[in-house]
Amino acid sequence: MAGRGWGLAAVTEQELLQRIREGRLVEGPEHATERYLEGLKRTLVVSADTELVSAPAYLRAAQRAPTLNAYVSALGIIQDELGHAHIAYRLLEDLGVDTKALVYERDPGDFKYPYAFDVPLDTWTELVVANAFYDRAGFVLLGDVFRNTSYGPWKRALAKVDREENFHLRHGERWMEILASDPATKAELQEAVDWMFVMTLEWFGLPDRLKRHTEQIEYGLKGSTNDQLRQQWMSTAVPLCERLGLRVPAHFDPERGEYVIDCPFPADFDEENKRWRFEQGPVGWDQVLARWRRRGPANEEFVTQLQRGYRELVRAVA
Amino acid sequence: MPTPEQVYEALRGVLDPEYPVSVVDLGLVRGVHVEGPVVRVRLTLTSLGCPCVEILHEDIRRAILSLEGVEQVMVEQVFEPWSRADISPEGLRRLREVGVV
Repeated sequence: MAGRGWGLAAVTEQELLQRIREGRLVEGPEHATERYLEGLKRTLVVSADTELVSAPAYLRAAQRAPTLNAYVSALGIIQDELGHAHIAYRLLEDLGVDTKALVYERDPGDFKYPYAFDVPLDTWTELVVANAFYDRAGFVLLGDVFRNTSYGPWKRALAKVDREENFHLRHGERWMEILASDPATKAELQEAVDWMFVMTLEWFGLPDRLKRHTEQIEYGLKGSTNDQLRQQWMSTAVPLCERLGLRVPAHFDPERGEYVIDCPFPADFDEENKRWRFEQGPVGWDQVLARWRRRGPANEEFVTQLQRGYRELVRAVA
Repeated sequence: MPTPEQVYEALRGVLDPEYPVSVVDLGLVRGVHVEGPVVRVRLTLTSLGCPCVEILHEDIRRAILSLEGVEQVMVEQVFEPWSRADISPEGLRRLREVGVV
């Protein structure tokens, strides 16, 4: 549907692609096509929802912080995440999206964040592993957007986001070091790593052989493919775990020059016991997509928590 | 035994855990005292509920312990007022680069 449509878009498909090829940024709908804007909005919603839902997910586990300073660190991270969510929703608002409806009136099941956040974090150990693993996934994905996006307003906003995620990783790594140094806490740390490592591998989505990114890459909305981003994540997450003496089901294969996953992947996940059913062997990605669509155990609780104040306000003034 | 200037120089390598600005350029270092092998640093924070306080203390200790003749580093947490005006021109320039000020 190229061309000058009825919407905000103002250039032809050819003019847009020419602009992107020349490395000139898209500054607003006046430089874009409807198709580009729809793709951009879809990408921004995933990013915004992910940052937003991390707040209740992290807050729940932060209650288990071992010291006041640790609690304040966790709250600082949550505050950063809410700031990042605000940036992405604000960019959506500038594109004409009704963000009030998007955030506060949407059905919990329609939120677009990774399934990982639907699995509740129950301990301080799981929270710091989330900071080291999940925030690293966010850092990898947003770093790719920052370097490659053709959308100027997002690129500029991400300079700050990128920096703040650094602190989250550092916090997670530092606490993993502390927990790994004592055999009593190391066992619990290993248990968290056992389910959360594979959960983060899954975060990057369908493998390249099943998914083509022509639109996202052609439009410069992202620069690397899912498999490349998964590799990038493993290239720092695996050495971190190896240094701390933690077992992970992946290793670097010098011959292939890349990381290799050593467990059935993707696999079926036992939500109740937070463990992968590796004994059943690998499952199809269609099964994974079905699980993602159903959403996980904490989806409704977290989204309801985010929407509660707004709903009470609406009732109060009605 | 390092001079206070050498300690400041080492502290210029200690960056805020979020932004690429040193604790010196941020205006957080409020005094350095060297007594033999013991170095004391007076440190304030940008906010009372600073989430990075433990990381900052660790980094400061590590940076100063790498100086010759230092055996002990004591970071004294003071809560002296801090404002934007305490950031050095170089610090402001770097913060502008990452979209913070």
